[in-house]
Amino acid sequence: MTQTKALIAQGSDQATGKTILIIDDDEHLLLGLTARLKTNGYAVVWARDAVAAISIARKQAPDLVILDLGLPAGDGFLVLDRMRALADLIAIPVIVLSARDPADNRRRALDAGAAAYFQKPPNNHEFLMAIRRALGETVALSTFLKT
Amino acid sequence: MIPEGLGRLEAGARLPPAVSTYSPHQLGLADEDGELELSATMRANLLDFDAWGEVLKMYGRTMRVAVALTDSEGQLVGECHNPQSVWTLVREAASDWGTGCPFCITKRLPCAAVADAVRLGAVVVVHDEASLTHVAVPLTLGKQSLGAIIAGQVFDRYPEPLLLRRVAKDFGISAQELWDIAKKERPVARGLLLASGELLAALGNAFLQQRHGKMLEEKLAETNDRFRWLAEGIRDYALFTIDTTGRVTSWNVGAERMLGYTQAEIKGQNFSFIFPPKDIQRRAAETQIREALRTGRAESEGWSIRRTQEQFWANINITALSGPEGSIQGFAIIMQDTTERKKIALVLENAQQERGRLQESFLSHVSHELRTPLTAIYFFTTNVLDGVFGDLTPEQHKHLALALDNITQLKDMVSDLLDITRVETYKLTLARQPASLVKVASEVLSTCNTNAIAKNISLRADCAANLPFVWADPARVRQILTNLIDNGIKFTPDNGTISVKAKLFGQDHDFVCVSVSDSGCGIRAENREIIFDRLAQVQSSGEVSRSGLGLGLFISRELVSRHGGRIWLDSRLGHGSTFYFTLPAFSLAKYCSHIFSSPNLDAGSVTLIAVDVVEVKGGVQADILREIRQILERCIHAGQDVLLPATGDEGPIVTFFIVACTDPKGSALIAGRILKDLRNFDKTSQLNPTLSSKTVLVDRGRLPEEQIHEVAAQIESSVQEHLLSTERYK
Repeated sequence: MTQTKALIAQGSDQATGKTILIIDDDEHLLLGLTARLKTNGYAVVWARDAVAAISIARKQAPDLVILDLGLPAGDGFLVLDRMRALADLIAIPVIVLSARDPADNRRRALDAGAAAYFQKPPNNHEFLMAIRRALGETVALSTFLKT
Repeated sequence: MIPEGLGRLEAGARLPPAVSTYSPHQLGLADEDGELELSATMRANLLDFDAWGEVLKMYGRTMRVAVALTDSEGQLVGECHNPQSVWTLVREAASDWGTGCPFCITKRLPCAAVADAVRLGAVVVVHDEASLTHVAVPLTLGKQSLGAIIAGQVFDRYPEPLLLRRVAKDFGISAQELWDIAKKERPVARGLLLASGELLAALGNAFLQQRHGKMLEEKLAETNDRFRWLAEGIRDYALFTIDTTGRVTSWNVGAERMLGYTQAEIKGQNFSFIFPPKDIQRRAAETQIREALRTGRAESEGWSIRRTQEQFWANINITALSGPEGSIQGFAIIMQDTTERKKIALVLENAQQERGRLQESFLSHVSHELRTPLTAIYFFTTNVLDGVFGDLTPEQHKHLALALDNITQLKDMVSDLLDITRVETYKLTLARQPASLVKVASEVLSTCNTNAIAKNISLRADCAANLPFVWADPARVRQILTNLIDNGIKFTPDNGTISVKAKLFGQDHDFVCVSVSDSGCGIRAENREIIFDRLAQVQSSGEVSRSGLGLGLFISRELVSRHGGRIWLDSRLGHGSTFYFTLPAFSLAKYCSHIFSSPNLDAGSVTLIAVDVVEVKGGVQADILREIRQILERCIHAGQDVLLPATGDEGPIVTFFIVACTDPKGSALIAGRILKDLRNFDKTSQLNPTLSSKTVLVDRGRLPEEQIHEVAAQIESSVQEHLLSTERYK
């Protein structure tokens, strides 16, 4: 708890200038997760279905994508595949955040090019660490070792 | 006056012994031993008058006597009247003849001829009140009396008018008429009567014997028939014998039918032709014969093949056949075609799997659906709690922290729900690796500490020094420990203690035993067995607490047993409980045993190659590590080298260890391959791989077992040494 607080405090001081696209159809999740990401200095954009996801991603060119697997108009794997096939999206790191059982889906998601897989609900601290790692941000070694 | 008893003639008293003691036994007609008690049906059959009638009629006509057949009680079975005029007249006049002797004309003394004949087993001659004579001949089979034949109703002297007059009076007929008939009768000589009785005895008993024999034959035929039916009924079985080299020596009809070969074409062939080609390659026949040689029998189930190449599922039973000196002469093989049974079993199994699959998909759906709102609640709560929207009052903070505790509990329950279906569908997967119990325990303790502090419970850990790694899935060990510690906290009153201990266990120290003791209320003896069952919830005395779905211990037990360990508990009511579980210790010797074979060790040395990969930007990612492992796997020789499993201690430097049964020269070759492949994989050289190796010489003076342990111990200490040195490097 105290660690998370430290991170928030650290992040809220300065904007990172980075944008995260959350692709999820749950309005409440979008609201809750966005508040946390913004506090940590990220700009946030949303997409609520698989089709919108791709067009928003191309338009906004986010630095990172948080992707749900169960989506309207096609599932998360489809989005992942499309992103890996499009030159302008291929380099964007994707973190999967899904309610689905990791036993069946983690392997597949990582093979399809996801940087990490988290089952809902994720641990805030671990989730933020993964975001930072995927964005290639340097994490203080002391913080890292505490995980 | 007629003296009393005149109408009776005691056989023993008046007849010559040869006659009175006549018995079929002495003629050798019946077997003394092995005699069967005749059933009532059989007796009735033996005395069937349809069969006897012709014989007795012939006798009666020849001897000019009336003949009757009775059972052993003297009851009439049937009679042939070769008309005896006096007797017939009296009998027809009598309104009631009674149930006694069918022959005796008497109103006074009942005739005991049959009873006497049966009792004495001898021919008995009797006079009745009209002075007519008859003989009673016993019929016996072995020692059993079956009945008697009565023959006679002839005068053996001239009729006496006085006696006849009395009979006429008794039976209400005209004395004159009776006399007129009687005086025409010619008496038969007494000797002749006796002789004819004797003849009748021989004749009757011979006929009885013949009849009995015939009945036995019929019965035998019937039994044979039944055997034939039985043999037909077991046409599902193939029976054949082979000699010790596996060649067929006999072949029954069932085998012919089941496998499609005749005895003539198969005799002398090796019996392996009953197995499908892939089993022949695997030497299935030899394996089974060897088993039967060793233990006397072998049973197996599997696919067999018919002449038509059609495969069928068969149960094969091989029994060793011993010769007179006890040496094995060959084997009897019984095969049963169980294809149908197998099909049914498969259908059932599929149905069960389908049920499991449905249940799993339902529960995984439920779990999925629950997780979505749970996630929103989690984010909202943590956001407020962490001050995203400003500072909280202590009271607000406390209540939200409690809300978060409940969310965590709910999350665990949802996870348990999914685990339970995995247990039931055998899908619970373990990602085993050498794991440090000390590390896992300290992680769990720090997580559980929040709950413990809330109840002012002191949480202590005490792990034995030099505890080996366990061969386990660290996430699952964490789950087991969390379950046990959380349970302990739940059932321990405020200010109690919970201590976690770990030490070596088992005869060869090949297990690590972890114990979790609490100072709680204890568990009643009757509950100690059921506590590990699914949905078990033992009501605690005193405080009633919410305790999840009651799946924790059930899942823990499954996880422990899936690891090859055991879980149990020790408890005294009012003095707390201790839960124990064991996990297999990781043994380098065992893990590498397949490459530590004598030919490999004969090379003289074993080399440990350490591949260090340096972390770049926030740690090496799991998928990169996975790819590196795959590259390393490709660089080594599977039968000769082993890539040790990861310990999960991923820090700034990750080390991969390779145990290679080779000398420094060979290890340099492997190192060269690895470096080349890693550079190809990581062109920017961010991983900066470095290799080092350490060679262990094999002490050849030792026994193979000792050699392996010696080498493994040295490799193990080299691994530790390397990890410590990289630690320093950091």
